[in-house]
Amino acid sequence: MDLASLVSCFGSPACVITQVTSGLIIGMLLFLVAAGLTLIFGVLKVINFTHGAFYMLGAYFALTIFKLTGSYVITLFGAAFGTALVGLVFERLFISRVYGRNMLMQLLVCYGFILIFDDVVKIVWGAEFRSMGMPTIFQVPPIFIAGGVVPPFYLFLVGVTIVIGVVLWLVIERTRFGKVVRALAYNPTMVSVLGINTGILYGLVFALGGLLAGFAGALAAPVRSLTPGMGFSILIESFIVTVIGGMGSIVGAFVGSLLIGLIRTFGSVGFPLFTDGLMYLFMVVVLISKPTGLFGKEIA
Amino acid sequence: MLSIERLSKSFEGIAAISDVTLDFPTGSLTAVIGPNGAGKTTLFNLISGALRADAGCVMLDGTDLVGLSRTEIVRCGIARAFQVASIFPSLTVEETLNAAVQAHRGRAAVLGQRFPLADCGERAREVMDMLSLSKEADTLSAKLSHGDQKLLDIALALVLQPRVLLLDEPTAGMGTEERWQMIEKVYRLWEREKMTVVFIEHDMDIVFKIANSIRVLCYGRVLAEGTPDQIRCNADVIAAYLGTEHEVEP
Amino acid sequence: MRHSLRRDITIGAIAITALVLLPLVWPSKALIDFVIRGASLGLFATSLNLLIGYGGMVSFGHGLFFGLGAYSFGLLMQRTGMPIPAAFVLTIVVNAAVALAIGAICVRLKEIYFAFLTLAFQMFLYSLIILWVPLTGGDQGLRGGIPRPTFLGIDLADQKQLYIASCVLLVIGLMLMRHIVASPFGYTLRMIRDNAIRAAFLGINVFRIKLVAFVLAGIFGGIGGVIMSLFVSGAYPEFAYWTVSGEGVFIIMLGGLSTFLGPMVGAVILLLLNDVVTRFTEYYGLTLGAIILLFALGLRRGLTDFLLDYWRQFRAARAPMQRS
Repeated sequence: MDLASLVSCFGSPACVITQVTSGLIIGMLLFLVAAGLTLIFGVLKVINFTHGAFYMLGAYFALTIFKLTGSYVITLFGAAFGTALVGLVFERLFISRVYGRNMLMQLLVCYGFILIFDDVVKIVWGAEFRSMGMPTIFQVPPIFIAGGVVPPFYLFLVGVTIVIGVVLWLVIERTRFGKVVRALAYNPTMVSVLGINTGILYGLVFALGGLLAGFAGALAAPVRSLTPGMGFSILIESFIVTVIGGMGSIVGAFVGSLLIGLIRTFGSVGFPLFTDGLMYLFMVVVLISKPTGLFGKEIA
Repeated sequence: MLSIERLSKSFEGIAAISDVTLDFPTGSLTAVIGPNGAGKTTLFNLISGALRADAGCVMLDGTDLVGLSRTEIVRCGIARAFQVASIFPSLTVEETLNAAVQAHRGRAAVLGQRFPLADCGERAREVMDMLSLSKEADTLSAKLSHGDQKLLDIALALVLQPRVLLLDEPTAGMGTEERWQMIEKVYRLWEREKMTVVFIEHDMDIVFKIANSIRVLCYGRVLAEGTPDQIRCNADVIAAYLGTEHEVEP
Repeated sequence: MRHSLRRDITIGAIAITALVLLPLVWPSKALIDFVIRGASLGLFATSLNLLIGYGGMVSFGHGLFFGLGAYSFGLLMQRTGMPIPAAFVLTIVVNAAVALAIGAICVRLKEIYFAFLTLAFQMFLYSLIILWVPLTGGDQGLRGGIPRPTFLGIDLADQKQLYIASCVLLVIGLMLMRHIVASPFGYTLRMIRDNAIRAAFLGINVFRIKLVAFVLAGIFGGIGGVIMSLFVSGAYPEFAYWTVSGEGVFIIMLGGLSTFLGPMVGAVILLLLNDVVTRFTEYYGLTLGAIILLFALGLRRGLTDFLLDYWRQFRAARAPMQRS
């Protein structure tokens, strides 16, 4: 425990800026992953344990696409849509067979795929740590805000995530597709009785989740090292976020992700060995006081 | 004597039960009837403690049941059976009743002996006989016919040795012949055990044949109460619910 | 099937004898290691099934008790001079106390929230283990081995005697859990699993029954941890990591959760898979993943569940012929 460092950090604008931006990065990436997770749970009532693997695939797709095209824009969209496709196929071919079965069976299917995806990644890209490197556009000197160091890519990441978040919100709240998806969450039978092909819809929701996780992976690729195990830790954290924010709530995922991101960075200053412990403690507190999370159950 | 006095319950501003005052004389076989949404099941929920009344009281031989926990209400002698049979799918009929008897006798948490406990077994078999379920003793509850599941549901209420038995649509989901078989079992049970039985029912032929008193609910209020003959002639009831086919028959 | 005490004791005695004689028939260090690990994992998984299979309470944090058992026992042996049986009993007490405290909080919650809260508590304990370096050795674990003073003429430093002790613990543990499941308590637990609302209407104190089940599961899960700590002569943070819980759930799903021995079967299957698969291919994940999918999508249930269903269908198909 190092409370002295924590207090002095709060006193220094440079430290605050640095920690806040790092926290924002973690939070934004987490948000994209958690939003997909919470969407899939809200609509399909499935806990997608494979979601971390989608994030990992997004990152590795980004690695390869960037190497082939050199364009980060193509990389972003390519990785995201590639992962969306994986999500669609995964849902149509496998998850659809275990709807209605108890949660543990679904967990088992997901666990099987985590193992398979991890090995596939190991085979195709190798087990060693890989790194994508920073795209040349962003290889510029860092910006200094109040003495704190802020790499420009960080700002880009935060900006892109916010844009994606807003677009997601608009899609869910303002488009017909979003309306049908929300209806699906409340009453799937009714939706299918209205003549809408619920099967494809389920697949699309999964694809949407995959898209978000893919974006996260592609955004993370320049600033994180890629390894076959990278899905696990973000999975656990995104679960914590969904619990804290509320399963099925995208706003909750956003707030929860920011909280976790900031707890991580400031927490590692004050409690260097216990940062995870803080997160879990927070999770315990939320689950005891309001199990449905800060923002309840509805898709926001 | 079970009497309800000025009972009220609302859900988010909508009154499900409004100022209801009724009584059920000891040992009577009373039918509660009324159109869908009249509040019949809500009434049962309030009496049995599944819901808490907003106002009013439920008096059982002088004790007010409102505010008591479900377990306490059970101990006072009220037991209910459910519209959709609420049973334990993975246990057999005999296991279910054994477990229920042992729970009623406070032996649910016994770790030192093997199941079933000998003395509980006797009582379980007794209840099975009461409802003619003995031939299905070893059948898994999930595999019982719909009618037998309803019987098991009632058996679970009987295990509690109630003074007042609330049956929520005992004949729901059955064809005509099955319905009469079921209600006959209920009637014989009532005759033999001499308890107060209140049942919700939609089949008017059955109601007028079996019940010795009737209570009519409509939109959460008491529309009428009385003997079958009185209810048959009651203009309000005819207008609101019965239509003309049940008017006084020559 | 009627559960009779005498029948179970006989089966237990036969099982212990068979297990003890096994290394004489098949002398192999690998076998001895396999059985000891199987005992540890089997007790852990069976204890988890008390919660999942019999109680309908899916816990994602049961590994907490495995780790707690290992660390408590290890620390007691390293730090105090107490004899092994005393440390064993004290470990059980510690596990029971922690299970009581955590259970009282968790057991009220439903389904997925219960699962997540148990996981959160487990990971919180894991973080504490990593943090409290002077006590636990942090991420290095308890080092220096676990002293094994002889007691009653038994020397657990001798691998063969550890083997026998593990087998005895396994069989007795399984028999005790079997008895719990066959007792009136066990049936009340099943009632709660099937229909907690109706159970409450019958006067059952659902909270108390669930809490007792949670504590019992925590005790036996901890015994699994003790065996593991003796086996590796230490305790490592991995014993309290969420993957232990995941493995427990996974074992139950593989072996079957509707039969008592399902989890034990699952533990053996998993250990076999671990050993066999790593010997034949370096693509452990791919193979294991494929096998899991076979169970989840093909069999759609654990092995013993599948065999039981098959057996029932077989009997049902033959019965009409016999009657005529």
